Amino acid sequence: MSLVEDTVTPVSGSVHFIGAFDPKIRTFDIIMKTANGSSYNSYLVRGSEGVCVMDTVKKEFSDTFFKRLELLCEYDEIRYIVLHHLEPDHSGALLELMQRAPKAKLIISGRAVMMLKGIIKEDIAFEIANTGKTISLGDKTIEFLSTPFLHWPDTMSSYLHEEKILFSGDVFGSHYYDERLFDDEVGDFSYAFKYYYDHIMRPFKQYVLQALNLYERFEIEIIAPLHGPVLRSNPQFYIQEYARWSSEAKFRKHAFSHKMVSIFYMSSYDNTHKMAEKITEGADSIDGLIASMYDLASLDESNMIDLLEESDAVIVGSPTINGDVVKPAWDLLSCMAFLESNGKIGASFGSYGWTGEAPEMLHDRMRWLKFRLPVKPIKIKLIPTDEELEACFKFGSEIGEIVMGKMVEMEI
Amino acid sequence: MAIVFLKDDNIKVNVSSGKTMRQIAQKAGASMEFGCRVGDCITCVASVKEGMEYLTSKSPKEIKALELLEGDTQNLRLMCQCSVETSEGEIVISYSF
Repeated sequence: MSLVEDTVTPVSGSVHFIGAFDPKIRTFDIIMKTANGSSYNSYLVRGSEGVCVMDTVKKEFSDTFFKRLELLCEYDEIRYIVLHHLEPDHSGALLELMQRAPKAKLIISGRAVMMLKGIIKEDIAFEIANTGKTISLGDKTIEFLSTPFLHWPDTMSSYLHEEKILFSGDVFGSHYYDERLFDDEVGDFSYAFKYYYDHIMRPFKQYVLQALNLYERFEIEIIAPLHGPVLRSNPQFYIQEYARWSSEAKFRKHAFSHKMVSIFYMSSYDNTHKMAEKITEGADSIDGLIASMYDLASLDESNMIDLLEESDAVIVGSPTINGDVVKPAWDLLSCMAFLESNGKIGASFGSYGWTGEAPEMLHDRMRWLKFRLPVKPIKIKLIPTDEELEACFKFGSEIGEIVMGKMVEMEI
Repeated sequence: MAIVFLKDDNIKVNVSSGKTMRQIAQKAGASMEFGCRVGDCITCVASVKEGMEYLTSKSPKEIKALELLEGDTQNLRLMCQCSVETSEGEIVISYSF
């Protein structure tokens, strides 16, 4: 089935897709590649006493959105406009829609209030939805669920009881263009579904699990996300995939119960390497954890993310070259954009020739990445002495003790 | 010195009166999220388990922001909006929800 602007596709008896397809987009949000485009999904729900519009589209696709909407209803029938997520790819047509449908009430989450003022620079009336709030369209009931940080603070979900449809916001989305729309009719989008999770949801795993907990209460027959295919063939499969990816039980933790400290390093003349060895020995000397070291010169970026995620502590070592950290160490820390860092312990070290800024620069970067940084960086001029290597051992063991729960006491 | 115990990270911080909770959390390396840092986004909400009386009072802005959250917000504070207001006593904060 080909969707052109003058047709609309039913998702269920009372829900239609009124969004827009974007086959030409090749980079989404700067960091994501979108090989065959994406979509901005919007849905219209009709009840016996009016219509609810679920989200809008990116502004440049407003014409398509309004054409599809006008095929299904008059503007004065719209009682509610629900914005599950305020990002401009979903709120682009909001202002115009509210002007065309002045009787409609805008419904957003509590956390969306301040963001609304930042995106729509005009005063707009709205109603706040928290978990359990319902709205009625006569014979249709929509219940809201607070599901923040998926992937902005403002996000929420909703559930249409009579049709058992979960409007999940960005959760369960894919940047995948296919006008056949439904998961059982489009091409193979499995890579896009995982890629999307890895880039957008992975940094918010604890919030994913909280949302999945809320969803458990409902019988879900269709998941209607804000991007990509509508998931109607086996919604539980997608929910279980998200649960599996988001759970704390990982490869290592399936088999072992110990904690993990990873020491990443680069070395020019073996000095930073010697420091890394001693730090690793020190950390490894603490019962209950295993410390391992990795040469960044030979660590593929695709492996960095998994290692960082599995690690309870990340210790990064770099020499100082031209007043800077070496690029592979910056590349390693850039991978943290895809991970939860809160609570992860970080530390830095390095040997240096004459300036030695690298360990502090790493420390500063890790601070902004929200690592816990309980110890100051350790740096050594050129070749480490035996005493300095002993200090590295103690540095590693102190970090190991903190990983194992030793209280950190400090004065500020 | 007052004591701020950042429960979720097992960090005990000795602080002087006047320090903001954001300064304390960030310098201590707590695993606490901060967003806008001006009381708009409600990212830095934390539960004060003990010692609410040792923190500066909630401003109208903070009260209004907390009202947007679900449930009982009486013991919740925005960490970017409060400071330690004592030179002794213990404040216990938890921020994993």
